[in-house]
Amino acid sequence: MQAAEGGGVVRERGVAVADPLLDARDLVKHYGGVEALRGASFTAYAGEVVSLIGDNGAGKSTLVKCLSGVERPDSGTVAFDGRPVELDSPVAARALGIETVFQDLAVAPDLDPAANLFLGRELRKPGVLGWLGVLDKKEMRRRAIGSFDDLGVTLQSIDVPIGSLSGGQRQSVAVARSVVWASKLVFMDEPTAALGVVQRERVLDVIRRVRDQGMAVVLISHNMPEVLAVSDRVEVLRLGKRVARFRAADTTVEELVGAMTGALSQEDAG
Amino acid sequence: MTPQRKSLAKRLVGTNTLWIALVLLLLIAVFGALRPDAVLTVFTLQTTLVETSVLLVLAVGMTFVIITSGIDLSVGSVLVFSGVTSAMTMNSLNGGDATNAGWGVVVVGLLVALASGAAWGLLNGLLIAKAKIPPLIVTLGSFGAALGAGQLISNGSNVSGVPNVLSNNLGTGTTFGVPNLVILAAVVTALGALLLGTTRFGRHTYAIGSNEEAARRVGIGVTRHLMAVYLLAGVLAGLAGFMAMAYFRVASVTGHDTDNLNAIAGVVLGGTSLFGGAGSIVGTIFGVFIPAVLRKGFVIVGVNVYWQPIAVAIVLVAAVWFDQSRRKARDRS
Amino acid sequence: MSKRTVRTLGLAAAALLLTACGSSGQIGDSGSTSTAKKMVLIPGVAAEPFYISMECGFREAAKSAGYEVDVQAPAKFDAPLQTPIVTGVLANKPAAVLIAPTDDKALAGPMKQLKDAGIKVVEVDTKLQDTSIASATISSNNEQGGEKAAETLAKLVGDKPGSVLVLNTKAGTSTTDARAKGFETAIKKYPNLKYLGQQYTDNEPDQAASKVTATLSANPDLIGVFATNLNTGEGAATGLRNAGKTGAVNLVGFDASPKQVQDLQAGVVQALIAQDPATIGKLGVERAVAAIEGKEVKRDTETDLVAITKADASANEKYFYKQAC
Repeated sequence: MQAAEGGGVVRERGVAVADPLLDARDLVKHYGGVEALRGASFTAYAGEVVSLIGDNGAGKSTLVKCLSGVERPDSGTVAFDGRPVELDSPVAARALGIETVFQDLAVAPDLDPAANLFLGRELRKPGVLGWLGVLDKKEMRRRAIGSFDDLGVTLQSIDVPIGSLSGGQRQSVAVARSVVWASKLVFMDEPTAALGVVQRERVLDVIRRVRDQGMAVVLISHNMPEVLAVSDRVEVLRLGKRVARFRAADTTVEELVGAMTGALSQEDAG
Repeated sequence: MTPQRKSLAKRLVGTNTLWIALVLLLLIAVFGALRPDAVLTVFTLQTTLVETSVLLVLAVGMTFVIITSGIDLSVGSVLVFSGVTSAMTMNSLNGGDATNAGWGVVVVGLLVALASGAAWGLLNGLLIAKAKIPPLIVTLGSFGAALGAGQLISNGSNVSGVPNVLSNNLGTGTTFGVPNLVILAAVVTALGALLLGTTRFGRHTYAIGSNEEAARRVGIGVTRHLMAVYLLAGVLAGLAGFMAMAYFRVASVTGHDTDNLNAIAGVVLGGTSLFGGAGSIVGTIFGVFIPAVLRKGFVIVGVNVYWQPIAVAIVLVAAVWFDQSRRKARDRS
Repeated sequence: MSKRTVRTLGLAAAALLLTACGSSGQIGDSGSTSTAKKMVLIPGVAAEPFYISMECGFREAAKSAGYEVDVQAPAKFDAPLQTPIVTGVLANKPAAVLIAPTDDKALAGPMKQLKDAGIKVVEVDTKLQDTSIASATISSNNEQGGEKAAETLAKLVGDKPGSVLVLNTKAGTSTTDARAKGFETAIKKYPNLKYLGQQYTDNEPDQAASKVTATLSANPDLIGVFATNLNTGEGAATGLRNAGKTGAVNLVGFDASPKQVQDLQAGVVQALIAQDPATIGKLGVERAVAAIEGKEVKRDTETDLVAITKADASANEKYFYKQAC
């Protein structure tokens, strides 16, 4: 694997210059009487890492679910690549090149890592067998090993159900799955939460590499130093609304915390 | 670091199937040692295989259902219903008594049996996957309803008049010494094993049982898939009804009350998890044969009749306990 | 548990307590005695040829005695299914109820309610352990049936030596146990026949088939099988057919439903021990009428059974069970 490029290196790139890749405006989402999103907006540009931060209950996970097709917002608009889109299912989101690492990982614990990597996108054998639905397990395994290698994911065994792997390895597989299939944008909801120091560095490294390929990465994290270390930009959500936007190079942990807690506000209606 | 594949031998030792197969072999060895003249004979082998064929077909469908973390209590009743509709259709096609009917009538009878099974399977699937009613409740309902419907149309009595060509060929006929009923069951089982083990359908069956929400998020059509799985179980129960009719030469409305539990026991004994996500058809084969071999062996070696159900129960529970503690040990390491 | 559930449960418990304390009576109390000229038969299970034949005898005898008749059968031979029928019939206040109790203890309560309401109760075919409830009991002499089976089997076999097996249903089923017992006693008289004992089958044909073939493996000299009811007979016939032993092993079945008679004539079964359900139904009506009219009632009656082989089948046609009257 590649050596990590020295923590804390923040580059100036693409911020607010090009048109946004993803532009969500005024999203509202109710769960019963609870208003999880109250007109939240969010923007992501190609080739950047943007962190979405906020206190518990600020609506981060709900926003990600709405933007990855798992939940449908009650109102609001989403534009992708300059065109308005309807993200009414995970399949629709994936068709646009959007992948997501969910906080609950959404992996099948009884299946092995390769099967999880290809879940829902299984490769079939060529010819009649493939038409009958027969899987090409060898090819999937080969490609899975290649992808894990590329991403620096280390697994003791490729044959065991991932439920018997450590939490960190499971998370690595979930991250790998989204990165391998994404072509435009990756949402990562707390991708480093269960990881040790070494593995965490690896995931952050993966995030940078994905960004360098020209994709947008949306990182949701509670870890402020981590956010500043890897992001190009930071957007802050509070009580279901975007309240602030920062360039990571120009801000500090104190400023971010201030925006999260409401001590500091830039936008009235995001 | 590239993850390494374990050697084939190592992977085999890790599977539940191997252990359950060893239990089966052990049983055969013990009975064989006690009565070699009676146990290790072609006759005993043939009859044991025939007598287990119908249950095996039910258990193949049940394996799919249980791997999705569902359950199907209705299979025995659907078997009865399909047998009754099939036998009555054949009778009415042949002037009230199909005993001397030809192959054409038999083929219609088979189609009716399969369609009857499919209808109940589809109903189960709709209620479980679309209406989201728990499978235990849905199939408990169809367990009663299918049996009741079978009794209603047969007026509560067994339907005779099963065509001789059917009974003589499928029921008791053999090909190169192998009973035809066994061949049919083996073909169904092999197809089931391939479907589960090598195809996308099988992979999605595991995925849904392992984590339904994850399967939904990666775009697997969970509702459709669950309906297909219950449909499959229904069709196989219909086929089993047809086979039982050929074997007993009568479509029986009684005596299938515990088929569902026998099928579930075989599947679980074969290492399929009741929690879903894990299991195999090969395991189910061994799981189905263990109780069959036990019952047969106990009669042959002359175990006291009152001890027989106790002994069967002890072996069943012990086998599952052994398997679970072994799995726990593996997961901890 | 939610608060609401707790509250509901609490209310239900309170209601139960109130009911329990509020009165000292029993469900079905009415006080008045029955006067209607009506008789009800509650067979053990619906649509079984044995009970249909009994119903035929019952209908005929009751009509000629001038009674209105009704027949209410449970869908399965099952006490929980039969109990609501008994309590339902109670509401109609017939003069007498003929019943085949499906459990010798569980039905005692509901049947006692009938008696307490002044309805005469006559047991047909099966009976309760508690003999104080019914006015009379008419049943087949099952033990005698078993003896007949042994004698018939010995006659069929001649003096060839061999083993014989009894297929019973579930342990603790009084009728089939009595048949097996009668067989066991009588078979000892024939030294050429070695009694292998009985096997239970849970009343499942597939288990009966498997036990027959297993016995054949262990005892290739098997020469006779006595199947104590319909399902065991069906399974035994299948097992013998699979083993290619149809006819070589003499199969004696119990009861004479149409399918069994057909098997007898086809040579699948060599003999049938038939009960006489029509006579049971008829005698049941006679006892009930006597009880209603306050005459002396003969408490226990056992009807005869008859052995039918292929040779004398046509002479015994009246013993064949019917699908409809």
